[in-house]
Amino acid sequence: MLPAVLTIMLALVVMPFARAAGMSRGFNRLLDAVVRIDVREVEFDGGSRRYSASIGSGVILSDDGLVLTNAHVASPRAVELSVTLANLERVGARLVGWDHWTDLALLRIDMADAKQRHLHFTHAVFGDSNVVYPGEVVYAVGTPYGLTRTVTRGIISNTARPFADTAGVEGYETGMFNTWLQTDAAINPGNSGGPLVTGDGKVIGITSRSYLGANNLGFAIPSATAKHVVDLLSRDGKITRSYIGVVPRSLQDLEAFYSLASNTGVLIDSVDPGSPAARAGLRAGDVILTVNGAKVDGRFPEQLPGIELLIASQPVGSTLALSVKRGVEVRSYSVVTEKLESRVGEEWAFENWGLSVRKVSRAYARENQLDDDTGVIVLGVRSGFPADTAGLSRGDIITKINQRPISSLDRMKAEYAGYTAKPAPTLFEVQRDRRVSLYIVKP
Amino acid sequence: MSLRPAFGRQAILICCSFLGLVAALRATPDLESLFQERLKSVVAVEYVTETEVDRRPTITMGTVIDGNGTIILQSSAIDSRAAISQLKDFRIYLPGDGTSTPARYLGQDAFTGWHFVRADPAIRDRLTPITAFAPKSGAAPRLADFVWGIGLRNKDEDFLPYLMQSHLALIEALPQKTGIAQQEIAAPGLPVFDRDGDFVGLALSSFGQSFLQFGRGGHAQPVTLVNVEESSAFALADEVLPYLGRIPASISGRPIAWLGAFGLEPMDRDVAKFLNLGSQSGAVVSEVLEGSPAEKAGLRPRDIILAIDGKPIPQLRPNTVVPAYIDREVDRRRPGDRMTLTVLRGTEHVELTAVLGDEPTLLREAQRKYFDRLGLIVREFVYGDAVVRRIKTAERSGVVVQYVKPNSPVDIAGLREEDWIREIDGTEVRTFADAVQKLTAIEADEMRTEFVLLVRRGTDTAVLRVKLR
Repeated sequence: MLPAVLTIMLALVVMPFARAAGMSRGFNRLLDAVVRIDVREVEFDGGSRRYSASIGSGVILSDDGLVLTNAHVASPRAVELSVTLANLERVGARLVGWDHWTDLALLRIDMADAKQRHLHFTHAVFGDSNVVYPGEVVYAVGTPYGLTRTVTRGIISNTARPFADTAGVEGYETGMFNTWLQTDAAINPGNSGGPLVTGDGKVIGITSRSYLGANNLGFAIPSATAKHVVDLLSRDGKITRSYIGVVPRSLQDLEAFYSLASNTGVLIDSVDPGSPAARAGLRAGDVILTVNGAKVDGRFPEQLPGIELLIASQPVGSTLALSVKRGVEVRSYSVVTEKLESRVGEEWAFENWGLSVRKVSRAYARENQLDDDTGVIVLGVRSGFPADTAGLSRGDIITKINQRPISSLDRMKAEYAGYTAKPAPTLFEVQRDRRVSLYIVKP
Repeated sequence: MSLRPAFGRQAILICCSFLGLVAALRATPDLESLFQERLKSVVAVEYVTETEVDRRPTITMGTVIDGNGTIILQSSAIDSRAAISQLKDFRIYLPGDGTSTPARYLGQDAFTGWHFVRADPAIRDRLTPITAFAPKSGAAPRLADFVWGIGLRNKDEDFLPYLMQSHLALIEALPQKTGIAQQEIAAPGLPVFDRDGDFVGLALSSFGQSFLQFGRGGHAQPVTLVNVEESSAFALADEVLPYLGRIPASISGRPIAWLGAFGLEPMDRDVAKFLNLGSQSGAVVSEVLEGSPAEKAGLRPRDIILAIDGKPIPQLRPNTVVPAYIDREVDRRRPGDRMTLTVLRGTEHVELTAVLGDEPTLLREAQRKYFDRLGLIVREFVYGDAVVRRIKTAERSGVVVQYVKPNSPVDIAGLREEDWIREIDGTEVRTFADAVQKLTAIEADEMRTEFVLLVRRGTDTAVLRVKLR
């Protein structure tokens, strides 16, 4: 439960060392596959659409130009992506897919352009993160603080660090479905998305975060997770997961209380209100013993991501058979999974109102005990613009406009289109801390 | 009611203040004797909020209201979160007198918000009720009138009284008619007088004033400062004198009327215009509480209350005081009274009649119990807890953590104040008595090494293992 400090890392091109005598061919090849990624992305924070620029690292994975990086480097908010190759040539790229849950994103280099310009690059090879061991020497490659061509060396400090964060990737949830490799190779802001490699240049992780102000506590997504994510993102452009709405908790030291043998079951710490698990009758304090007949073991926090992944990997809408211990009784429950959704909804800006919003998601509605997912959350208002003058402020939830419920972002866009076509006083119904207020937004 | 009469007088404001000045000059020689005489209507009140783990003394100011030594304190003089049973050792100090005499707490009146305290008979003949200085004419003070009041120094200065004086700058309905002087004129809770020594009002808690605070780099930071010792705002005498008889019949202040319309939000003028309501004032009902008189009367969330018993809600400034106006309309009534509400629902005007109920158990009335070895105070789960947590009546069970002792077993286990305990050792906690019985048994059992709590915090729950040894 340490506070996670996500560092936005700037990546860099790493040139092959002229005298890399001590280094393997594999390592030199890896250096040729590491890229710098320049991102221009849209933000909806201050009541309008704004653009910001950032830099990250990435690693080329295939001859046809797939580049792996962090989700917090390249997201669907990106409007312009460019990749700087090891030979310093810059080429455009587009987002193939994005998965904030694992903090990974996949890009594709503009191959037509690359071919036309005869740009050459190599691609890196994945190693097996399951066989790395604490103490093994590893290298991180990236652009810490804009210092290009930085290779840092360290060891694997821990092979299975649990690291879930409900708002770790630009406000999106992350880290529930995998553990992380911990390394003392210097990871600084700017390393994000770059590879963590063994001496032979095999990618065993994607460096992603570190504790700011700490001494060399860096973290990387293991290649076992990354490989799987790359496969799915390159095939479908997205990853669909299942959700049942339980928050698991390790059973360590509680086995006696629950009259369980060690390494048996996982405790439910919390059940999301209105979730499939809640509807099926599961409660906090229940212990899940098996999922679809397979025994689960959630004795330690390190084991929880695996259990979450097991549930998430089931097809959406499938029925999970859970055997659950409550008190002395063991009962079977059937839970029909839902599609896992972020609590961060789609964002938009209504420039003439000076208002930027985010759709209320199902998860957000549950978390905040809203009746349903009607409405949009105000991300920001522009000072002096109609929404601000009317009295709206950040955090408000707009539930109705001109007495019509805002069931979707499109519904709101339609209201806005009506307003821009013929500006007239418009009635907003707003909820702020459960209090309902009415405001008139005037042209 | 409205500000209109006050503005009507503005035309003669200059003339008025001139006369006021002359009168003040003439009255100046008398002010000291008026001051000495009126000192007998003010006292300092000290009391202790005693919990199982500490005793916190508080000093506040009060005004004598009758010949029985009854004293009123501002509603803010006592923390509304404190349990009535924790309020102890009330004592009264006369201004400039280092000695104190015991007093008795009588309770709080819901309508005025005043707390009532009664002085020991031994000092009653040294007190003069404020009613002795009530104006014979009943005339309200006017803009620019000279007004003065009393402040009391600190305890180590024996609450030495001192004079404050100013002129009336503004009268506003908030929703009570409130006079605002140019400068501080009295300690909150103490009376304000005119140049003849007539009682014109009771000082309220002072309003915040905006200042700029300059940091080292010359950067200005806006700050709001509130003077807690002296105030320039006072409720006019006719918002005070008619209600002095509202001495609570019981220490709980009951009966207290209850409607159950939650989250009243004022409707602004633009909204009224948009809804074709003209210059009508009103308030939006955010939620209608389960099982409340409002629910039984058919009030619905998002209804806009426009009138009470046929009387339109007045336009008030700032309009944020409109909800307070409606609350006062409820509080001035008694359980069983009827209250007719005219509401706008969509485009329709609907009339509803609610029979006011009895306010559900308040936080300050909730039962509490301290467990020293475990390190917590639990309190009864009251109706307000259900409202705050959006819980249906049927789900009302368990107890709330009122206090966590630092470094105690429950603190180390991660329990926090306001956590809602649902289960103890895997068994549901139904009532307060149930929780007390379970925790008492755990605390008494020297052999116990641990126990397990299931708590809810926000929409999440957590299983907490409390190690005892």
